[in-house]
Amino acid sequence: MTTIRRFCCDDLLRFSSVNLDHLTETFNMSFYMTYLARWPDYFHVAEAPGNRVMGYIMGKVEGQGESWHGHVTAVTVAPEFRRQQLAKKLMNLLEDISDKIDKAYFVDLFVRASNTPAIKMYEKLEYVIYRRVLRYYSGEEDGLDMRKALSRDVEKKSIIPLKRPVTPDELEYD
Amino acid sequence: MASKFGMAGGIPERRVRPVWDAIDSRQFKNALKLSTTLLSKYPNSSYALALKALILERMGKLEESLSVCINAKELLYKNDLILIDDLTLSTLQIVFQRLDHLDMATSCYEYACGKFPNNLELMMGLFNCYVREYSFVKQQQIAIKMYKIAGEERFLLWAVCSIQLQVFCGNGGEKLLQLAEGLLKKHIASHSLHEPEALSVYISLLEQQAKYGDATEVLSGNLGSLIMIEVDKLRIQGRLLARAGDYGGAADIFQKVLTLCPDDWECFLHYLGCLLEDDCIFPGGTNSPSLHVSTLIDCNHRHLSDDVFDSRISRASEFVEKLKAEAGSDSIRNPDLANLEIERRKIIFGKGSYDKLMEDIILFFSRFGHLACFSADVAVFLQVLPGDKKNQLLEKLAKGIASSATSSKNVLGQHITLFKIRELIGDMFPLPEGDLVGFAVQMTEMYCQNLPLSKDLDVQESMFGEEFLCMTCNVLVQLFWRTKHIGYLLEAIMVLELGLTVRRYVWQYKILLLHLYSYWNALPLAYERYKSLDVKNILLETVSHHILPQMLTSPLLVDTSDLLKGYSRFMDEHFKESADLTFLAYRHRNYSKVIEFVQFKERLQRSSQYLTAKIEGSILNLKRNANSIEEAESVLESLNFGSDFLDVSNEIQSKKLTFNEDLQLRPWWTPSYDKNYLSGPYESMSNYPRETLRNDVKETESKVTRTIEKRSLLPQLKSLLESYAKFLQLPFQDAVVLVNSVASGQKPLEVFSPNLIGWMNFAVCLNAWNLNSNGITIPMNWELLCSLLQQSVSSKIKTAKPLLSFPGTDLSILVQLVTEPLTWHGLIIQSCVRSTLPSGKKKKKGGGGGTSDQSNTQLSSSIKNSIISLNNTIDQVSKWLKEQINKSVDGDIDILLSSINCDDGGPGPGKVVKILEKLVSSVDDLEVGERICHAVKPWKAADVARKMVTAQGTALTDFLNVCDSKIKVLQGLKLQI
Repeated sequence: MTTIRRFCCDDLLRFSSVNLDHLTETFNMSFYMTYLARWPDYFHVAEAPGNRVMGYIMGKVEGQGESWHGHVTAVTVAPEFRRQQLAKKLMNLLEDISDKIDKAYFVDLFVRASNTPAIKMYEKLEYVIYRRVLRYYSGEEDGLDMRKALSRDVEKKSIIPLKRPVTPDELEYD
Repeated sequence: MASKFGMAGGIPERRVRPVWDAIDSRQFKNALKLSTTLLSKYPNSSYALALKALILERMGKLEESLSVCINAKELLYKNDLILIDDLTLSTLQIVFQRLDHLDMATSCYEYACGKFPNNLELMMGLFNCYVREYSFVKQQQIAIKMYKIAGEERFLLWAVCSIQLQVFCGNGGEKLLQLAEGLLKKHIASHSLHEPEALSVYISLLEQQAKYGDATEVLSGNLGSLIMIEVDKLRIQGRLLARAGDYGGAADIFQKVLTLCPDDWECFLHYLGCLLEDDCIFPGGTNSPSLHVSTLIDCNHRHLSDDVFDSRISRASEFVEKLKAEAGSDSIRNPDLANLEIERRKIIFGKGSYDKLMEDIILFFSRFGHLACFSADVAVFLQVLPGDKKNQLLEKLAKGIASSATSSKNVLGQHITLFKIRELIGDMFPLPEGDLVGFAVQMTEMYCQNLPLSKDLDVQESMFGEEFLCMTCNVLVQLFWRTKHIGYLLEAIMVLELGLTVRRYVWQYKILLLHLYSYWNALPLAYERYKSLDVKNILLETVSHHILPQMLTSPLLVDTSDLLKGYSRFMDEHFKESADLTFLAYRHRNYSKVIEFVQFKERLQRSSQYLTAKIEGSILNLKRNANSIEEAESVLESLNFGSDFLDVSNEIQSKKLTFNEDLQLRPWWTPSYDKNYLSGPYESMSNYPRETLRNDVKETESKVTRTIEKRSLLPQLKSLLESYAKFLQLPFQDAVVLVNSVASGQKPLEVFSPNLIGWMNFAVCLNAWNLNSNGITIPMNWELLCSLLQQSVSSKIKTAKPLLSFPGTDLSILVQLVTEPLTWHGLIIQSCVRSTLPSGKKKKKGGGGGTSDQSNTQLSSSIKNSIISLNNTIDQVSKWLKEQINKSVDGDIDILLSSINCDDGGPGPGKVVKILEKLVSSVDDLEVGERICHAVKPWKAADVARKMVTAQGTALTDFLNVCDSKIKVLQGLKLQI
């Protein structure tokens, strides 16, 4: 029913029915292509019979030492294909690659604090709220940093929630 | 060489840092000051000069920047003592690139590499320069050099990619692939391979040369372990075996994949295709690296004997049964769908049963019929059913819903699916008007009744039953097309507007509305809906076809110009940055992306829409500046007086344009941008015209190519009239005769349709030719031309109907007449007036009245008459527009609302709106929740009508302003003569 394969440039010309959805951001070209050029294993598309684009996931792997982790930058499913666990499949794929190929400690993602449906979904996928990032979205809305530990983090240290919220400039980049 | 510790370009870093700080904080004036001080201390530093050039460029002083940059470059070459470091080079490179002088940046690096051979850092910089210039051969040469120096795998792969690029994006012959293969083989023998991407490239190289056996061998050898995900490896293996013709082996492999990934539909198609020895699964022409698969609905396996076919099919069936059993109650749909595909293949082979296929569809429906994608999933299977079976199926599905005992949400989903299947198989077209109204009413009612299901949903989430309103709209538009009753069209708008009031994010409603508003000449409202879609970045390429064509022939010149500018800016930016992203792929060793990126850039560069935008943007610019000959001239100058366009026109013939628009999301009545069924007479169809989409697209593509070619000739017409005549489909002389006979009244104007604008442009330019040709004249003159223009405008106005009562009235022709031929003619008049008048200085000194010969007098009287005639022609348009605009808004609203006011109980529009109004008056917050209740309550049909009437008025007023400004210019000219 669903074919999941690596995302390629031509898919950019076919994903309009996914991206017209107001919650799905259409980034500029260098954003997509930087992900494709650097982390092609973290950018996958799901197709339905007839090669219709159902949704896609994009992400990366980054960090130093024990904060070496997979990151979900965007995951989206067209309305037509919702309610059939596609997001879960895509997330599992990214987790698998982070775990098995890149041997990362955890996977994380950011979500708008107001986006209750999404938060609920990530919780179902065993993500926990690790910390709140104050005014993460355009300096207005708070973001939640959610994490899921991978097999390398045996003691699940990476997902022990922080007690206090952080500000965006406290986030570690590399 | 590499920067010394604490040094930047030979200057202590602490001295440079303040300059960079100022640049980073965008204090360019300050930065410039600091850099001048720096230069006074280090007058011979290329780096300091490069910094200054960078600052000047950021300040927009491009010429100055270029000259400073060239100085820096010369200094670099001249002074043997200076170290050439990468920082200086890369700074120069950035500035040269931004100034569009890639070649100069390249020669800096070439010089540096010559001076310091074997410096890998510099060589990588040079490689990057060649990537930016798309010089594949040079890329290959420098990569090989680096490989020889360092022996690293990545440099070899850079060379191999550069070779592949020569073959697929350059003029390199396929023999080059053999060379690349040889290089890799030699390297593998001594060093093996260490990157999965390197292995992919190696396999693709072999595949591109049809060496499938070799590729399979490589994959199953030691190197195969580089691919860490088992199914990925199996998929490649299966593909290679199938391409090599070993269908049995391939089927076994795909079976393994399916066991691991039972929901992989494409893999199932490969599996079945291999079992049935179907050549279509991996289509030929495989030597292009782009991995696109066909839609896989074609098949070609008729050469199998009956026995073999039966045994293969039963093997497939058994396997699917096994998958199904293993999947258990999981939501995996592949096995069910696989059964349908098996039955479809049997039918195509002549051994299937329609009843069995229907049975399977019904079974599938009972499990997954509530899902929004169901109808699209089964579309391909419905196609093989004959008409009567389709109707039977519908009945059975309807019964199935009635007897199902699932949750109300699922029942709702099934109802939606049922209507969607109806749309798909098109049993609605032949129905009587009353039945169709019945469907529209039923669907609207279902939408309203099911609102409580969405009570607790967030506004961001899709609501239950949203699709009903799109389908209601589709039926109502069909009713309008059939009956020409505007009430239906208005109801279609009302339904969607109400839907948007309930939830403002539904893009499907917005797209339908924008087309309805465009059709009804309420373009400002259509544009507003389009803007609310927030179309940006790559969506500009795929989605703007919904609005762009209408805008190009509208009086909304400013909005159109914004639209075109935004789109062109996006495309041009991508072309600028694309090469750097390609280099990023090289650097991160994702070689397969290198070729993909280059091919993608080429695809966008050949975009028909991009070319259209380029040409139409310039024509639009000319239109907007045509009230002043001086400004129009400077626009023309910026276009190299049209020779750039000529290049485009010539290029089109030599290269294949691409069509990247996503037409799937267009409404059924306008499946492509140059087609609108509503503008033609009603014809009963077998379904909403989706099946013919592919043909339509092809047809449109060839038309667009011709249009671009024609339009690109426009600003350069004088010398190109002959080519232009070709597009009017007549030899030049015949075209001239035809124009004359229409102008003198011997033939009716209708002979020019449907290309009136093209012919008028032609006539205007014929007259212009005569003004400038020394010797050969063409039978065309001011009087004839004026009469022609006058005729065309009058005839359009005579037949124009009130926009409100006649949706689809083609206002754009009138707009184009004024903004194109009349405008070009106006420009020619301006130019003649200017040349017959003494120049400003002379005028003052001599006070006019110089010696003018007879021909000049003749000319000026012709011009004078032309001005009067053109003035009258435009004035006619202006008067008509005023009549339209001065109608009372409330009166117009009444006209609209009365069209949906049916009391007689018979068929006719109004019933759907009644339901909406009932919803508004009775909505209850306990039932549907506060949010929906608050959204719905203030909704009024009259408000929707008012908005539409106002938008029509705005468009007409814009048009009127265009006309009035032209009249003003003409009156000014009259006084000058």
